[in-house]
Amino acid sequence: MNITVLVGDMKTGRTGDILVTHALGSCLGLMVFDPMAKVGGLLHAMLPLSSINPEKARGNPAMFVDTGVPLLFKSVYEMGGAKERLIVKAAGCGNPMGKNEIFKIGERNYTVLKKLLWKNNILLKAESVGGTASRTIHFEVDTGGVLLSCNGTKGPL
Amino acid sequence: MAVNILIVDDSGVMRSMIKKSMQMSGLQIGEIYQAANGREGMDALDQHWIDLVITDINMPVMTGEEMIGQMHERPDLKTIPTIVVSTEGSQTRIERLKTKGLKFIHKPFSPEKIRDTVKDVLGSEVFNEPNA
Repeated sequence: MNITVLVGDMKTGRTGDILVTHALGSCLGLMVFDPMAKVGGLLHAMLPLSSINPEKARGNPAMFVDTGVPLLFKSVYEMGGAKERLIVKAAGCGNPMGKNEIFKIGERNYTVLKKLLWKNNILLKAESVGGTASRTIHFEVDTGGVLLSCNGTKGPL
Repeated sequence: MAVNILIVDDSGVMRSMIKKSMQMSGLQIGEIYQAANGREGMDALDQHWIDLVITDINMPVMTGEEMIGQMHERPDLKTIPTIVVSTEGSQTRIERLKTKGLKFIHKPFSPEKIRDTVKDVLGSEVFNEPNA
């Protein structure tokens, strides 16, 4: 089943599911996959830190990187995923406005992600981040395969 | 096979960061030895069996380059895979190190960069899944 992950959203899936998220610009797309339990999750977080609007973060933690990433991992653990087996991949965190981007949202999203992963002893298996192009992700939960569409080209991540 | 690693850097914080990166990487690690300069590095190489050296360049007492020079004069040490992690900006110096068969990583580095370089040097057989 195709499951679409909207902006500021997080979904999990099992064998047979394909998690899809479109148009990652400065947003972070984070994929977590357990090859043994065959479960996975995809997060599409918009902004780096929940401290700018804690109330919104309580209602929808997937909107922010610092609350969305823990939510993603916890949800995959609840489905049977184990930390030591997880494969983690990141995409997005670009600057679609080019040099005119004064808030550097993409860069900050990436920094907050890397800090969280470092604290929790997790390395990225693969990443496609930065630049001005928008990215779309198809994450096949059966195999953990990620198809990245970017600038009209498609390829595995 | 578990890999014994020697980390040579005059900054304790940097040695801890490299150590943590190695522990996160999924590499099958035996022992991790640390040294604060090239002289201490040579002492560690004399005392322990080392499979991989990760070293800085600019250090007091003895630089990384001098240590690598001494290692290359010793038949028992010259084949140990060595990765240089440094802020070194001089392209000529970097090229000179690369011609000696060394890998070079610029500071600041990402832990993924260290993992990928070690995998490049030692092969993925010494890594545990799923990070391999």
